[in-house]
Parts: sequence; C-alpha cells; structure tokens
Amino acid sequence: MPAPLNTAARLKTPAPLNPLTALAAAVATAAITTAVSSWAVSLTVALGCAALAVRAGVAGRLAPAAAVILAPFWLSLLVMHGLFFPEGRTVLAEWGAVRVTAEGLGFALDMGARTAAYVMVCLLFSFTVRVPDLVAVMSARRVPPQFGYVLASTLTLAPAITGRLVRIRQAQESRGLVLGGGPLPRLAAARLQMLPLVLALIQDAGERAQALESRGFNGTRARTSYRDVPDTAAQRGFRVLALLLAAAAVALRISGQWPGIPWPWGVQP
Amino acid sequence: MSQQSRTLPAPAQAVRNRRLLEALGAVSIAATFIFLVLTQPADITNGLASGSTLVALGGFLLGAILLIVGVLPTLPTSTLVLIPVALVLNIALGQIMGSTGLPFYFDAIGTVLIAVLAGPAAGAATGALSSVVWSFINPTVLPFAAGAALIGFLAGVAARYGLFRRFYLAPVAGFVTGILAGVVSAPIAAFVFGGTSGVGTGAIVSAFRAMGDTLLAAITKQALISDPMDKAIVFAVVAMLVYALPRRTALQFPFVRRFNVLAGKKQETPDA
Repeated sequence: MPAPLNTAARLKTPAPLNPLTALAAAVATAAITTAVSSWAVSLTVALGCAALAVRAGVAGRLAPAAAVILAPFWLSLLVMHGLFFPEGRTVLAEWGAVRVTAEGLGFALDMGARTAAYVMVCLLFSFTVRVPDLVAVMSARRVPPQFGYVLASTLTLAPAITGRLVRIRQAQESRGLVLGGGPLPRLAAARLQMLPLVLALIQDAGERAQALESRGFNGTRARTSYRDVPDTAAQRGFRVLALLLAAAAVALRISGQWPGIPWPWGVQP
Repeated sequence: MSQQSRTLPAPAQAVRNRRLLEALGAVSIAATFIFLVLTQPADITNGLASGSTLVALGGFLLGAILLIVGVLPTLPTSTLVLIPVALVLNIALGQIMGSTGLPFYFDAIGTVLIAVLAGPAAGAATGALSSVVWSFINPTVLPFAAGAALIGFLAGVAARYGLFRRFYLAPVAGFVTGILAGVVSAPIAAFVFGGTSGVGTGAIVSAFRAMGDTLLAAITKQALISDPMDKAIVFAVVAMLVYALPRRTALQFPFVRRFNVLAGKKQETPDA
C-alpha cells in the first residue's frame, strides 16, 4: 500500500477526540462536580469549560446558548431563595414578608454555580461533538440504530421546519391572513399556520418511512459502517479511568463517606 | 404508512428482554421517586445534600434510558419517522413559551400527538427521547426525561380508552396527566436544581416559600398549579390537530384504527 503523501503533517496533528471519550469526560466531570458539591469547584469547572470553548472556537455559539438558559434560572433562584428562605437565620434585610438571609443567598449561589457547571459541561460536549461520528460509534456498539436516526434527524430537521413555517406564513398572508390583534385572532392565525405544517410533516414522514422500510431499516442484523471514527488505546484507558473516578465519587457521596477537604483561610466553599 | 414491515419479526427472547427493560425502567423511576420523597432533607440551610441530587439524576435517567432501549426497537418505522417531527414541535413551542415568562411549558404537544396516533409505548419513548435530544441545546431538560415519558404514556392510555373521542374529555385527561406529571417532576426541580428554571414558575414557588413551605412542598404546589392547566391546554390543542387532519391520514396509524381513537364510524383495518 502506498504511503499517504501527508504523513509528516498527520504525525504532527494529534488524533481527533473520539465522541465516546468526550462523552465520558462530560459525564464524569458533571458527576464529580455534583458529588463534590462546592460552589468554588463548580465555578472553576464552568470557567474551565469556557476556556476550552474559546480554544475549540465554539465560544461564540456557546456563550449566548448558556446565557439564554442560565440568566432566567439565576434570576429565578435569586428571587426564590434570596428574598424568601424560611430556613434562614442570619437576616441581612427585611421588608414585610421579604427576608434576605445569608443562608438563602448562599443556597442560591450554591445551586446557581452547580447548574452553571452542569450546563457548561453539557453544552461544550454538544457544541464540539460531531453528531455523525457519535451516531456511527453508537451503532457500532449495538445501540439501537433508531436512536441514532432520531438524534441526527431531529438536529437536521429543526432548521428545515423553521424555513417551512416561514413559507406557510407567507402563503397564508398572501391569502389574507392578518397576524396580530386580540387573543382570538392570534389563536386563529396560529391554527392556520400550525395545521398545514403538521399535515405536511406527517405526509413527509410517511414517504420517509416507505423509503427506510424498503432498505430494511428495522432489521435486527448488524450493519457495516463506512464511517471510520478514530480511537486510540490511550483514549480507551482514559474513558475507563474517568468513569471509574465518577462512580467512586458518586458512591462516596451517596454512602455518606465523602472526605472533608481542608480549605485555606477557613473558606467554606 | 400502513404497509407491513418487510423485515423479519424479532425473536421471542428479544421481545421478552425488551419487556423486562421496560419494566425495569418503570421500577427505577418509581423507586427513585419514593426514595426522594421519603429521604428529603429537612434542613437545607447548608445546601442540598448532593447525594439526593445524584440519586434523582441517576435513578430517573436510568429509568428513561431503559424505557428508550426497550421501546424504540419495537416501534414500526412509520411511527419512528414521526418522532423527530414531534421533538422539533416540542422544542420549538417549548422555547417560545419559555421566553414569555408565563408559568406554562407547552413542551409536550409533539409527544402527546405521537401518543394519540401511535399509543402509550410510542408516547413514552417520544417523551424520554425528547428530553435526551433537547438536552443537546438545553441540558436542564435532561433530568425531566422520566416525567416527559410519563406524560407520553398517559396520553396514549387516554387515547386508548377513548378520551379523545369527545373534544371536551381531552382537556380533562390532560388535567389528570398534569397532576401526575407535576408530582413526579417536582423532586427533580427541587433536588437537582433547587428551584424552577422559569421566572413565572419561580414567582409562584416564592409565594409558597413566603408562607413557610419546605422547598419540595412549594415546588410540588407550583407544579400542581402550572402542570394540570398546561397539559389541559396541550391535550386540547392536540385534539384540535388530530381532528383537523384528513381522516385518511389519521387512519393510516394502526393504533388509531385498532382502538377507534377518534370519534366517527369505526373503520375496519384494510388488511382485515
């Protein structure tokens, strides 16, 4: 077999991350961060994910996606626990039923940081993983092919459906549909857009089903994949280690045997 | 769409294994819920015990994954190709409603639509899958996969027993489904996130907390206000959608034909 022409370049380029390695790293990080249960560790993990997102070139997409999820969540936590926390003892301010307590603010910080770490880890995985590679790897490991179809199909269908909804709206407007007004006209307008959309989607799905059936999609035999997803012994070892560490952390936390960590300067993270 | 599968049927052993997976999934969800309610922490001033969080995440997710693995291979291709459509409807409508600040979700229209057309198992799988796939965009919905599966299952059961044959019964079925779904989802909101993710729902929880309720009690009461109303509206919208579909399209689904899901003259199956 002739040697590839770009061997030198390939030797310098590190092997791309297998989707399962990225998934194992995300699951282990989320589980260990939750088990540690410390706002300082959670914030460190969230910042680490932000740094990795910048390095991977996905920060521009990840930042608004995380902000849309976390901003209302943090606001909700602040109102819920910052202003009303009946278990709180150290009252910082009080206006009638509203009691700002140190314990309530601490609880909001703890839960907000923990959720931020979880969201950042998951979004970093989903924004960096190549879905076709993930589907190919899962199929090779006997995950039902239907799962891969649903995952890949949904992620590619969403933009197409948005485009179709715009075309339906334009077509209905050309027939005299007026958007706006009171609740009832709005409801009627929504119905006039939703019905053609759902009908067309069900019709398309029927045609797709026939095409898939004729190719033996629901068969139980294993299929040959033409997609080669690289994997290395080091990555396989890392996956086992990461999952073992996560399992140990979860077991220690649930059994109540979690070791206390002495923090410098008497900090209570 | 009503054509018979051209592939060989699964062997009996595989069918038994899938039934076992479905049963284990349901047991995992029920056991996790009971454990969380019985062992809820009385004092949360030093933060929630992360053991409860891990049990809630692990137990509910394991149950949802077992349900997906057990149900998905049994679905006919005609139902399977509808699931991505349902997921996109869930995500699009859920995100629109999440941005309004109202204490509703509207993130189950696609799930309920599939359940009415294809039955409880397809509904449960669609609900759980919806949370898993949506978590690629919004990871906070992932822990609610078990609740979403329950909504799909109950919607399918309601369709199976004829509650979509009368338009006024669909919101009633939705109301009851919302009560059960709210009770199951409340421990996840409480123990995994320490509250709800929406500003509107958060305001309702705050009101109950101001009256001295525990976190789980306040979130459960909020869920009992939001979820039944939300699901009643969702079931009514889905009833409107399925009756607006051409009858030929709705009757392409074996579940609709076999259990006479929609009102009107009973249709014989084409291959009978």
